Amino acid sequence: MSENIKNISDTASDVPFIKVENLSYSYENDGVPSEPALRDISLEIREGEYVAVLGHNGSGKSTFAKLLNMILTTDKGKIIIDGTEITSSSMTDDDMFEVRRKVGMVFQNPDNQLVATIVEEDVAFGPENLGLPRDEIRKRVYSSLDMVGMRDYSKHAPHKLSGGQKQRVAIAGIIAMRPRCIIFDESTAMLDPLGRKEVMSIIKRLNRDEGITVIQITHYMEEAAMADRVIIINDGTIAADSTPRDIFSRVDFLKSVGLEAPQGTELIWELRKDGFDLPDNCVTDEECIAALSELFEKTLKGKKDEQA
Amino acid sequence: MSRLELNDVSYVYGEGTPFRTEALKNIDLSFSDGKITGLIGHTGSGKSTLVQLLNGLLKPTSGKVLLDGKDIWEKPKEIGKIRFRVGLVMQYPEYQLFDETVHKDIAFGPKNCGLSDQEIENAVLEAAEFVGLDKNILDKSPFEISGGQKRRAAIAGVIAMHPEVLILDEPAAGLDPRGRREILGGLKEYQRRNGTTVILVSHSMEDMAYYCDEVVVMNKAKVLMSGCVSDVFSKSAELESVGLDIPRIAHIAKALSDMGYDLKGELYTVDGVKNAIEKYIASIS
Amino acid sequence: MLSDITLGQYFPGFSILHKLDPRTKIISSIIYIVAIFVIKNVIGYALLILSALTLVFISKISLKVIIKGIKPVIIVLIFTMILNLFWTVGEGEPLVQWWIIKIYIDGIYRAIFMSLRVLVLIVATSLFLTYTTSPRMLTDAIESLLSPLKKIHVPIHDFAMMMTIALRFIPTLIEETDKIMNAQKSRGADFSTGGLIKRAKALIPVLIPLLVSSFKRADELAIAMECRCYRGGKGRTKFVKLTMKLSDYVFMTLIILFLAAVIAINYLPFGLRVGV
Repeated sequence: MSENIKNISDTASDVPFIKVENLSYSYENDGVPSEPALRDISLEIREGEYVAVLGHNGSGKSTFAKLLNMILTTDKGKIIIDGTEITSSSMTDDDMFEVRRKVGMVFQNPDNQLVATIVEEDVAFGPENLGLPRDEIRKRVYSSLDMVGMRDYSKHAPHKLSGGQKQRVAIAGIIAMRPRCIIFDESTAMLDPLGRKEVMSIIKRLNRDEGITVIQITHYMEEAAMADRVIIINDGTIAADSTPRDIFSRVDFLKSVGLEAPQGTELIWELRKDGFDLPDNCVTDEECIAALSELFEKTLKGKKDEQA
Repeated sequence: MSRLELNDVSYVYGEGTPFRTEALKNIDLSFSDGKITGLIGHTGSGKSTLVQLLNGLLKPTSGKVLLDGKDIWEKPKEIGKIRFRVGLVMQYPEYQLFDETVHKDIAFGPKNCGLSDQEIENAVLEAAEFVGLDKNILDKSPFEISGGQKRRAAIAGVIAMHPEVLILDEPAAGLDPRGRREILGGLKEYQRRNGTTVILVSHSMEDMAYYCDEVVVMNKAKVLMSGCVSDVFSKSAELESVGLDIPRIAHIAKALSDMGYDLKGELYTVDGVKNAIEKYIASIS
Repeated sequence: MLSDITLGQYFPGFSILHKLDPRTKIISSIIYIVAIFVIKNVIGYALLILSALTLVFISKISLKVIIKGIKPVIIVLIFTMILNLFWTVGEGEPLVQWWIIKIYIDGIYRAIFMSLRVLVLIVATSLFLTYTTSPRMLTDAIESLLSPLKKIHVPIHDFAMMMTIALRFIPTLIEETDKIMNAQKSRGADFSTGGLIKRAKALIPVLIPLLVSSFKRADELAIAMECRCYRGGKGRTKFVKLTMKLSDYVFMTLIILFLAAVIAINYLPFGLRVGV
């Protein structure tokens, strides 16, 4: 708790960037509301935070992301983004425009979010919609392409790029709008390991160097490990909200919500179950190795003492 | 049992154009009968091309693909028959669903095989069971079921043809850990019961370690190495040199071995390492 | 494979024709087409051939490519020839008369010159509009040229956006068709044997998934566009600006002069006159 308070005073304002209060949502099936996808969710996200939202397929995590960007709307509960209540019935199209300028979204399928036939023109699409002058668009397009390392491809056709490259272009298209927050809605799910690594390193850099608030929806644990904070959504409710370290060490809990702990943590957990004396907070491979070698040394020493 | 082999196979895309690329270069390979072989490699390493050569979607530029010692292209007009014997589940196979009901969609392949109505019915029900599809889903439209169920239905559509060799290209791509386990576990069970030869393309080293008996590693249009899982994962340096990883648990086991602790056994799954550690501790205490 | 089809047959390059503003090229091709159809005098035809060869030369597109481009329309050319050869009723006695067939000297002339017109028409328009202009530039130019219609509330911007998106997704859909066909082939679908009806039926398992996924794509793309603050042409600026340079004005002047010359030549008291 004390850590939390300290962090808030670090930022310029102690008003959260995103504030969600008692949010619920049900999809409708032929006019009949089905099982709620989200039930009574409340949380706050501060500017500059890197939050991973984890959950198995159908847990409600994507619904949550879509509500934040007004792709879905509801009147059950409140979402306040940078002081604007986006769930209010008095929201106009112009207000929505403002919200989307501040909160960008990168989707899962890289193919279905690129509009133009040339990379640089696609990146320009957002700034064009914002009505920026041509010189400013030009500047933003190239600096955004630089940021994702795709400047050399500025004249290429999107369909000739790899999945990871397409996704980087999509990210550049969002960066060019200079949002304060970017939501990544399973943006790495369709990529191969290399593409995923590329995209992850960009996400990390955007948060660390540019101070952009990142909300990353995913079911990959390795990705969640890079965040400051992990929120686990299960059956439409928040099942956990803590640091990655804390959450990853709760192997039983992770299994119960359909997720997996890192292999090293699982190994230590299995050994602890069998009665071995090991710490319960090993998350990284190095920590696991250190804990195990300590156990070996203790056992070897015990044997020597016994023999002596 | 049918033996699937590649004999000096090369494949070139866009021959005679400026875009000419060699996707496969002189591949000699044979897949063990009744085992699960993992096929791993980066995008562009040639594994997708390889998979399409195995069931005759592509024809080798040179060399032969042999099934039971016979060139599958001996009678090009009968290549369709090869596809019933070597079943291929493509990546994101849910795109192939088209029929009115899931049942009819799964029956599409068996029908094309020319099975009798009763045989088709049995094949559909059996395949649905293997992939864990509920019976009440079979009468629904494939477009109104969930993503995970679509994936299962699509896989069932190929299994229902009872291929002697079953190839799956990333059957668990995009699924969450639970979905992965269910699909891959179901396949392993299917393979164990029927003794089918299975070839599994995957990017996940952890899945390879857990579900496969043998592994073929592709790199730059060639086979980098092949062998049983433990042999391949013991060559971590070589794998890393081409940018592939070993399972994280194998890293931990390797680091401990390098520190002088004598761990023995299957050091590439959590269970394997756990057993090795417990054995080791028993031996030193 | 389907994905080998190249779209639009655009050949990137830096020739004079490539560098012209796409609007110049659209207007020029219209003027050129008019010129082709007003030519009557044989001297005019000579000028036409000369101008077409000049265009080919300055585009720096290889003759091989151009001949390849003509191949698919050879049937049309032959048809034009036959039509004109047999259906022209000329003055005087026919040269050949057999059964119901009568061939006049005029028919021979017309057959030659009409197919020449079609040939030049195809070569010139492909040079202007497809070989040297990317489809995207063409879209931009059409939007710009039609922009006066916005005043009477014709949704020009929306049409242009639709064209851009179509161009963007055609390769993706071709790839996807390929993928779905392979998936169905793997399930024993047979697209290459049987009669027309059987083949058409065999395409159902390809068309339905393609349709379903296209709708899904359209849906996702619309959401992605909205999230990037798209709200139609309202308040939108443009990244690429088309600019008319001196060379554009010079080129356009030359084309207009060409038209004027062709018309003038028609009034010459000498030279064989063929045309409608």
